[in-house]
Amino acid sequence: MRNTFRGGIHPEERKELSRNSSLRAYDAKGEMAYPLAQHIGKPAKAIVQPGDTVKVGQILAEADGFVSAHVISSCSGTVKGIEQRATLAGPAQTCVIVDNDGKYTPAARWDKRDVLSALSDKDILERVKAAGIVGLGGAGFPTHVKLQPKDPSAIRYVIANGAECEPYLTGNDWLMRTRAEEILDGLTVILRLFPNAEGVIAIEENKPEALEAMRNAAQGKERIQVLEMKTKYPQGGERSLIQAIAGKDFKITELPADAGCIVDNVGTIYAVGKAVLYKEPLCVHAITVSGDAVQEPCNLLIRNGMSFAELLDAAGGVKDGVRLKKALAGGPMMGIALASLEIPVQKNNNGFILLSVDENEKAERQQTACLHCGRCTTVCPTGLMPFMMVDAAERGDFERYENALYGLECITCGSCSYICPAKRPLTETFKDTKAAIMARKRAGGR
Amino acid sequence: MKTALRVSSGPRIRDALRVSSGPHVRDSWTTSEIMFTVALALLPAAVVGVWVNGLHALLIILTAIVFAVETELLFDWFCRHPATYKDGSAVVTGLLLALSLSPTVPLYIPALGSVFAILVVKCCFGGLGRNFVNPALAARCFLLISFAGTMTSYSVDATTSATPVAALMSGQAVSVTRMFLGGAGGVIGASIFALMLGGLALWVFDLISGWICFSILASFAIFVGLFGGQGFDPHYIAAQLCGGGVVMAAFFMATDYATSPTSQAGQVIYGVLIGVLGGVFRIFGSAADSFSYAVLVGNLCAPALERYLFPKPFAYRRARNKRMLALAGIAVVGVLAIVCAYSATKDTIAANRMSGSFGPYLTVFPEETPVEAFDATDEITGAIEALGGATYGSGFGNVTINEAYAALDADGNIIGYVVSATSADGNDGPITLAVGVNPDGVVNGIVYTDLNETPGIGMRCGEPEFTEQFAGKDVESFTLGTDIDGVSGATVTSTATVNAVNAALDFFRTTLKGGNV
Repeated sequence: MRNTFRGGIHPEERKELSRNSSLRAYDAKGEMAYPLAQHIGKPAKAIVQPGDTVKVGQILAEADGFVSAHVISSCSGTVKGIEQRATLAGPAQTCVIVDNDGKYTPAARWDKRDVLSALSDKDILERVKAAGIVGLGGAGFPTHVKLQPKDPSAIRYVIANGAECEPYLTGNDWLMRTRAEEILDGLTVILRLFPNAEGVIAIEENKPEALEAMRNAAQGKERIQVLEMKTKYPQGGERSLIQAIAGKDFKITELPADAGCIVDNVGTIYAVGKAVLYKEPLCVHAITVSGDAVQEPCNLLIRNGMSFAELLDAAGGVKDGVRLKKALAGGPMMGIALASLEIPVQKNNNGFILLSVDENEKAERQQTACLHCGRCTTVCPTGLMPFMMVDAAERGDFERYENALYGLECITCGSCSYICPAKRPLTETFKDTKAAIMARKRAGGR
Repeated sequence: MKTALRVSSGPRIRDALRVSSGPHVRDSWTTSEIMFTVALALLPAAVVGVWVNGLHALLIILTAIVFAVETELLFDWFCRHPATYKDGSAVVTGLLLALSLSPTVPLYIPALGSVFAILVVKCCFGGLGRNFVNPALAARCFLLISFAGTMTSYSVDATTSATPVAALMSGQAVSVTRMFLGGAGGVIGASIFALMLGGLALWVFDLISGWICFSILASFAIFVGLFGGQGFDPHYIAAQLCGGGVVMAAFFMATDYATSPTSQAGQVIYGVLIGVLGGVFRIFGSAADSFSYAVLVGNLCAPALERYLFPKPFAYRRARNKRMLALAGIAVVGVLAIVCAYSATKDTIAANRMSGSFGPYLTVFPEETPVEAFDATDEITGAIEALGGATYGSGFGNVTINEAYAALDADGNIIGYVVSATSADGNDGPITLAVGVNPDGVVNGIVYTDLNETPGIGMRCGEPEFTEQFAGKDVESFTLGTDIDGVSGATVTSTATVNAVNAALDFFRTTLKGGNV
């Protein structure tokens, strides 16, 4: 096991803004919106009607098909409607709107702990599915699907991803510092499904408190070890972790399970523990609100469905005398720039970054022709040649992009754009080109 | 999308939020920062160049920079391109060109060179990052071809002199220290110390590839060690590395982004190619400009290296690793072959070299006991130095003793001595000959190493009938007419020869004490 991957960058961490602000719960007061598509796969099917009364933990929409996840109410109140709203996925997405009564009446009690050995593997997977758990690291892949690879006995590593390599983000850091036991519970549950696997908790070395807390909790636990990783972006990428821990690189057509690995964010694992041992559905998750434009950078345990505008309020609003220029859902490397704050926070949002300066605007002014300096190839964690890819993409030579340059392997981590001194729009072009090629393939019936 | 937002406790946000694709943070290095840092790295060399060579060097540098920037500005204006002159790359090109020029060139040289570099090599091929060879180097070669005389005249302290590399290649002694510091003549940017300072800084800040510069330096050093004729003599290698723009080429020319490969394997091969070519050109071709041409050829090979050493993504590299191993294997085999060939032919080369400078001396020793080496002991060297090149003794005419050696056999035993003497009393100029003496004082033979007398008369002294008369005799001194029959009609040459032989024998008996020192 190495403690890092090839390539990568060292962006300014800027975690000091929020790293001293302990994780606190914030219960939203305003109206809640639950998009039916906040996971990878088919959108869920709404099973409530306008006017229905709902409680915390109640299923609003059911998973539709194998790769899909339940959408669960994180508040109590009345269903106001099923409407098209702007979400992170697009300007008009179907959402269940719930008028939040602010009482947070639970649908059931979740304080009785079940004994893991009394549960079958099927029970475990059903409880994970029932809790509506998706990957909280950002991708939002339904977790119960991830936990059902073709051959569970071939899994050698279950990796708890606590790298948190995106700048600004400190939510997982705090989750590990304050809820180490619960995370280990979750990891133990998952390890039950994979008898030949070893649990590896991967944490970047810039989180000494989290490392210590997890090490203390893991002391004496069988099949579980804590691994200190180098601080480098994208250390927390699925492929980076697998390259570092299992020593295997895989192609875009392969899954982590093909490399004998299951990778889950520590937040997801925490939720799995709660779901399996206490039957508690996923209603709250940790998020970091940070950036130079926010009054009080903080780490909050929030209820999904609240609006980003209210989340900004919860962090004290925009800093006095500062003009908000950019708002990001997620970290600054892979996060999405918001056009409006009136959109709902999803289960998989782990960061909300508010900035007074748009570095991309500055970069546009500094843009020059490609120098051919090769920095992009040095930092690419996949081993691609971004400066050649962008050339092919701009000429519309998709054939060369895909087959000669392996352009579909790009994980759009943003490292090449970050490092480019000529400020070329590399990652942006790759996102568009990948989408265009995939669309063309679908149209071609392939 | 313009959306006015109202956040209850915050101020009213009137301006739209900026939307753009990620990443939303960027590294601080920009193109122009890189270019100006490279220019800054060249500054120490420029400062030393101006300090050593005077104000005219400064004028050359300024002319080159101004013309480079102006050319780019005018080209962009003329073609209605967005102005790119501010990115600093033209400054670097001008500075590099100026530093690789002689400090005495008239100002039209850097002006013309800069225009050629920017207009022809850079702008016409698409501007920044698109030039197919290094613009400054291409301009230098263009100037070398067009103005050969002006370009290759170097002067130090107003007297024309050879560049250190030219001196080195013609076998003269050079001061590595002066070359290192920059006072040994040559181009404006000749201070290796200053160039290394800037170059190493660029490497440390990761602005240039260490794979390129160090593979050039290492492969060149190994090449001159193997084929330079002086072995791996540290002083010789250091002098070769310090001269003729090797350091400038390795750190500043070959590392130009646009004209070097980006893959690691490509960079190493590219560097070795340049280092070896530089060595070939240096040793077997034009000494001073070898690296200009070597880097140009390297530049032209870079696209092929980029293409054929294209690194596949990590997940596809298994097969590739095998190929890389094969490539490395071939490289190792090649190096081993060279080393084997070298060690196999080393003795022959050494023998040939011996026969080159010591060859004539070998003929004054008997063939049945071959001489393995000639050794100048400290005593002999000291005695020769003590003579100081003055006329030797009295009664020998204008004779000087040049050098003397003890001749050693394969086991290191002294089997005789050789003394070289010159008589200035020849008919048409000085005569130089070597006398071979056995340790017991018997003359083994004599050989002329320099005889330029009148053909048919004085030159007949070189024939065996005359020279063989000396062999096998044990006399205090030879007397013409008694011990030796002179060549008829060549009394002057014969006398001078006998005097020189007698002086050599006297030196053997008195100074070398019959071989007892």
